[in-house]
Amino acid sequence: MADAVIVVALLLVAGSATAAVAVRDPVRQALVLAVLGVALAVLFTVLQAPDVALSQLAVGSVLTPLLLLLTVRKVKRRGQRKGREQ
Amino acid sequence: MNGWTLTAALVLGGGVGATLWGVATGPLRRRVVAQNLSTALACPALLLLSQGYDRPSYVDLALVLALLGPVGTLVFARLLSGELAGDPPRAQGVTWAAAGLGAAVVLALCVAVGPGRAMAKLLVVGALLVGGNLVASRALSGGFREVSRG
Repeated sequence: MADAVIVVALLLVAGSATAAVAVRDPVRQALVLAVLGVALAVLFTVLQAPDVALSQLAVGSVLTPLLLLLTVRKVKRRGQRKGREQ
Repeated sequence: MNGWTLTAALVLGGGVGATLWGVATGPLRRRVVAQNLSTALACPALLLLSQGYDRPSYVDLALVLALLGPVGTLVFARLLSGELAGDPPRAQGVTWAAAGLGAAVVLALCVAVGPGRAMAKLLVVGALLVGGNLVASRALSGGFREVSRG
């Protein structure tokens, strides 16, 4: 009974990680990754590791989606430029 | 296991579980709203956990999440503004429900800790949570489109 919150956090991480793999479009994958970062931070908190959770929050909820979206944007623009040149 | 951690488990399982379903399926406008709600619901859960474990320093986690969650949503709102412009998300009801849950949790914790420095910190977290969530939701639905264009 005392481990109910740990089980819930583990299930959330497993579910969001599976969803992140199953979603194919990179933009939507970034959205699922942001939720995965928050779920991981909650898991680290219930496992009594708040310092790890703190860095996971900063990296997982903002930095990873930002880098992914910027990369997708740059790749798309390069593809459009190449399409125009041909 | 006390009432606080039980409530946190319920918020996590019901709220964040539902947003996980929302972010994994459906059109893009539903996914961005679900991503915004996931941070807005995880923050009260972290507050409840800090009270349940009787560790006031865990409130820092909720503070960081209340600050960075809306920032992450604003990143999506800015970089996906082209795709969201044709089909803007409308989620007034769930946004206000999540904001109400956050405010209710903060009020309950304020009553539990009593007046003092910890209560001031909780109130700051609550204000950041509700305000940031409402601003991020408004940005998603295109409320600041004139700003993002300029």
